[in-house]
Amino acid sequence: MNRFPSSLAGGALLLSLALGAGAAQVVERVPGPGEAGSSAAQRREALPRVPENLPGWLDNKKQNHIFYKRGRYNFDVYNLPRLARDLNGVSVGHAMAYEDLVTGKAGRLETKTFARIDRVLKDPPKFMPDEAALSPTFVRKYGVLEQVFDWTHILHAQTVDVLASKKLTQAEKDREIERLWKYYFESVPYAVTPLPLNMDYLYSQPYSQKFRNTYPKVNGLFWGYHWLQGAMYDLLYRVAPEDQKASYDLAGEQYRKVELYRTDRPFMPMFAEVSPVFGARFPHIANAFDNLHMLHDMVNDILASEWLSEREKEEQIKLAIWMVSAEAHRGEKPGTESADRLHDHRHFVGMPGMGMMKGMTPELMWMPELGWMSMADCHHCSMPLWEGNEAWRNAAVSADGWTMRTRCVLCARDMSAETKGRAILRIPTENPDRVLVVISDEQGNLKTSTPGAVFLEQEESHTGCEEWSRAFTSRAAFEAYVKAHPKLKEAKALSFDEWAQREGKEPDTYAPARGPVENPYRTEVRGAK
Amino acid sequence: MGGWKCGSVRVRALTQYAIRITHPNARRILTWGLAIVTAFASATSAHAVDHNNIDAHRPLSFDDAEAIAFREQALEFGLNLGWPRNRPLGVGLDAEYLYGFAMNSHLHVGFEPSVGGRAGTDDTRFDPGDVSVGLFHNFNRQYGNTPALSLRADLFAPTGRDAKGVAFRLRGIASRQAGQYGRFHVNLDLAGIPGAARDERQFVPGVVLGYSRPVGYPTRFDSTALAELSVRAGEERGTGGVVGIGLGFRKQVGVRSVVDFGIQSDIAGWDGTPRDRLRVIAGYSYGF
Repeated sequence: MNRFPSSLAGGALLLSLALGAGAAQVVERVPGPGEAGSSAAQRREALPRVPENLPGWLDNKKQNHIFYKRGRYNFDVYNLPRLARDLNGVSVGHAMAYEDLVTGKAGRLETKTFARIDRVLKDPPKFMPDEAALSPTFVRKYGVLEQVFDWTHILHAQTVDVLASKKLTQAEKDREIERLWKYYFESVPYAVTPLPLNMDYLYSQPYSQKFRNTYPKVNGLFWGYHWLQGAMYDLLYRVAPEDQKASYDLAGEQYRKVELYRTDRPFMPMFAEVSPVFGARFPHIANAFDNLHMLHDMVNDILASEWLSEREKEEQIKLAIWMVSAEAHRGEKPGTESADRLHDHRHFVGMPGMGMMKGMTPELMWMPELGWMSMADCHHCSMPLWEGNEAWRNAAVSADGWTMRTRCVLCARDMSAETKGRAILRIPTENPDRVLVVISDEQGNLKTSTPGAVFLEQEESHTGCEEWSRAFTSRAAFEAYVKAHPKLKEAKALSFDEWAQREGKEPDTYAPARGPVENPYRTEVRGAK
Repeated sequence: MGGWKCGSVRVRALTQYAIRITHPNARRILTWGLAIVTAFASATSAHAVDHNNIDAHRPLSFDDAEAIAFREQALEFGLNLGWPRNRPLGVGLDAEYLYGFAMNSHLHVGFEPSVGGRAGTDDTRFDPGDVSVGLFHNFNRQYGNTPALSLRADLFAPTGRDAKGVAFRLRGIASRQAGQYGRFHVNLDLAGIPGAARDERQFVPGVVLGYSRPVGYPTRFDSTALAELSVRAGEERGTGGVVGIGLGFRKQVGVRSVVDFGIQSDIAGWDGTPRDRLRVIAGYSYGF
């Protein structure tokens, strides 16, 4: 049974059949200045102009290194040595590609450079290398850009250190992540904006997509790095240390074997597609990381556009930094729309940590192979997801590179069963700080590091699934819950093995989401998986 | 021997080490130094500085033009063995604390206890050495063809044996990319002892040309090799200059910790200026 992905895709297929040619017209677009059929002169004419009176920090010639915020969790990512090493490899990969791009070696990016990076990714360094030492020419030319990258990478590193810490409680972790954000945001003028940005706009510049189309393998590596830098958050957030390791054993393999080598993505992996739980809890951080990753894409495209002069490249990179900077959006609010698409800060309903994407609406987002969905609803039963202070009650399933939230425990289990390959389930218990991690193997067999967990599953309509589908850390917790809910007094406490063998009915509330077109990226997918 | 003889030794200490290991206190210093280095090496694998950022004495005599990061702190330790010409072997400890107190700036406090013969003096007794306080400021990173430029200023309080007066050193530093991954570092020094004795120079200029290059690329990213060529004036009037060379190696051994090894030699000197046959240096740094 593989209902989940196919059901969504199937809905989209039905919709596209219904819309017929109209749908095709929606996705068909007039070639932009950056695409085939337009001359360099036309593209140059369409280049956005660098505004006058940009702030001085965009031209600073300082070194401006800032150390990590002090914390007893610093470098705790090494509690997960393989994740730490993979992240070290990401730094090498970024730096090597940039150095070759600016030293006249772009022509060998897909061959020698790719092979060199790939060798490092397969045996990543034990310690985080200094990217500036690996790409000295790039840093000399684009020092301010390096400052933006470096500073936001420190936010990446420290937030992961906090999540991987064995010394902090969950509440302490949540508080420290907010402090880290404050430290990041207030220490320098070149912080990336926490507002959702319109990704379609940013990826529709005259130079856009050049890197992806010219260097698909190295672009795939970049997007693989960004997948890891997003996916690791939900793998670690609210998860016990022993389960973090088990989770990364699986996810790391997905990263190293699949995500790094995908060339069929129509767009970079968005944070909320791979870490929706953390993205909903810390939307400002999710947005900042997406905006940073988009800056990477914009810079890659600029550097790969041979029709741009060196001076134009410098100007456009400076402008790209400005576009994603916090200062360019000062005083603006998340959720607001603007005629100026640079200042369009709408986000998806149910997901404040994700800006608008091509052809999508705030109500519906689209993901490759999964199709259309509402980010406010359970992706298995279509019931509303928990929000705000209740968001911890959502379960989550990570499989095949994506992560989805579900409203109840049954939905998580059955969604994983309907998905090909291995999966990681993160299931809430009665204790908001104790998430039960369940790993599914290729055959759908489930295992957990907490075999003493007890389950309630007295299946009824999914309109009330939060009541009859639950997990508990102990028998006592189960009994206390049943006692408080007389309606469930006959309910049987299921052991993990009993629960794992079950399979629910198709949710009576499930309603496939229907988007305006089958695939908003249809004209842009070049590769084949 | 007058106090300004010691002053000469203090100036020399800015760029070199020379201590006699046969002295009874030598073993004590060596033991304590090794104990400190070992303690940090084993206890703090999660801290220290980067192998590619180079500070004077770790292990050679030149600085690169990079300040440590704002709000970063670092401790740097080194042990050195010196064989001065016509004098016995010696040993010394070099320790420095650095703090990035502002963007692109750090201050440092150091001390250099030593025992044994030093080039330029016959005194071999234990010397607690002068305590130094310094300021390092980076004016700009390298951009285009403009090298990264920094200034370092040190004051040496007369806490050493027979020391009098406050000595200083000003060091201008330029670092520039050389080839794709290498860097040249030029250090221009002016060491001064206000009120120096008649037979000594009040101001002693020097220059160090350093080169550093990460080694192991593209498969290893944890080591840097260093080399230097230095020229400095003799401290005593009537003596000539000294030409020194050095080779060094820095290797990251922890997330923020680096060990270093180096050898230096004064290969030429004129008009009787004292010099060292060989110096061997081993150190450990960590940032936190």
